[in-house]
Amino acid sequence: MEFEPKILGIACNWCTYTGADLAGTTRLQYPQNLRVVRVMCSSRINPSFIFRAFQLGADGVLVGGCHPGDCHYNTGNLYARRRLAVTRKILEFAGIEPGRFRVEWISASEGNKFAEVVREFTEQVKNLGPQTKFKIK
Amino acid sequence: MSINFKQIEDKLKTEARKLLEEGKVSIVLAYGKGYDEKKPMPYVVRKTSDIENIVFNEYCTANMARYLVRYPRGTKIAIAVKPADSRAVVQLIQEEKVKREDLIVLGIPVYGMKNFKTGETIDSKTTCGIYNPVLYDILLGEEVHGQPVVSPYDVLVDYEKMDKDGRWTFWKKELDRCIRCYACRKACPMCYCDPCFIDQNKPKWGEKSPESQGNLMYHLTRFHHLAGRCIDCGECSRACPVDIPLYLFHKKVAKECEEMFGQAAGMKIEDKPALVNFRVEDSDKILE
Ligand code: SF4
Ligand code: SF4
Repeated sequence: MEFEPKILGIACNWCTYTGADLAGTTRLQYPQNLRVVRVMCSSRINPSFIFRAFQLGADGVLVGGCHPGDCHYNTGNLYARRRLAVTRKILEFAGIEPGRFRVEWISASEGNKFAEVVREFTEQVKNLGPQTKFKIK
Repeated sequence: MSINFKQIEDKLKTEARKLLEEGKVSIVLAYGKGYDEKKPMPYVVRKTSDIENIVFNEYCTANMARYLVRYPRGTKIAIAVKPADSRAVVQLIQEEKVKREDLIVLGIPVYGMKNFKTGETIDSKTTCGIYNPVLYDILLGEEVHGQPVVSPYDVLVDYEKMDKDGRWTFWKKELDRCIRCYACRKACPMCYCDPCFIDQNKPKWGEKSPESQGNLMYHLTRFHHLAGRCIDCGECSRACPVDIPLYLFHKKVAKECEEMFGQAAGMKIEDKPALVNFRVEDSDKILE
């Protein structure tokens, strides 16, 4: 059987989540491997969410936020960008494939981009194979 | 030129006495006699009769900034700091955990400190490789000049040569030995959260027993929480009873943060900690 990755999506309420909605209402097809969680802002994302998701069996984590400068709270994603950059580095330094974690800026009108990113990311995680390093047995 | 530890000790005693007698501070954080010469203790001086117990020798590696956050706001404290420790004080001021005006910083320019377990010199290996405190009110001793300047990141050479799988095997092996005594977080001046995320039950962030997955969660998150804040004193690694080289990871993250955000932790009081700050011109490149 082909490996179907489990991917956690964490999407900001104002842009990416709405973008995902748009992708849905315009009937765009994208892989069903993504489970989306909505947060109010990408800076709401505690890096431990990501580590914990990996522990509980996610094969990849996709974070979506507004484009820098477009944040509903003005500066939230600018903080998030720094923080998540560090998260990525930490995964990398510990020897975990950084390709399992991705941050994308997707605005509310970019349903197409959302579907595109999910397609691409799912493919990427599929190629990396199941995530076992972090997972609690 | 070498450091005269005895002289520093005497100066420390004189200054402590002066400050306490004049009533400028109610507490002096310094080093006290342990059960032998190699194990001086962190020492809280409250009255002049305590002063005779103060010591300072090459084994006084503890970072006294650890104890600053224990006292209520407004307590007037004098604190003895070595170069790395002074960065911790600066970082704590940046984070508004202590106020500059409540502190009298007794700076100790020093090098040649030794790890009491191995006896090796720790300059720049597990500390940040500077010889003069970045912040002080009273300097105990002469400023150090002419010591070879070593980059604190030089020790990373071997680690940086490893590939992804090498790094994973390395850290897995090291972190699996962790017994979760939490000495690292107790020794760290920047680990002051109460409760620590790993002690929380609702939500539960990670397994609490010492097994690989929980250890990984604890340590990676701790590395994350110290990103841009770790001032590279190396106390965590020295406190660790099983000698896990935590400093390697901390240094690597610190190096990366310095490159990405253009500032090192605890150097200037006016800075903001890197992760609670941003520049509009930060680029998306850092996410790649
Ligand atoms: S993490 Fe270690 S080196 Fe960094 S400040 Fe804390 S004790 Fe010092
Ligand atoms: S001091 Fe060492 S053994 Fe104790 S919790 Fe920290 S890393 Fe683990």
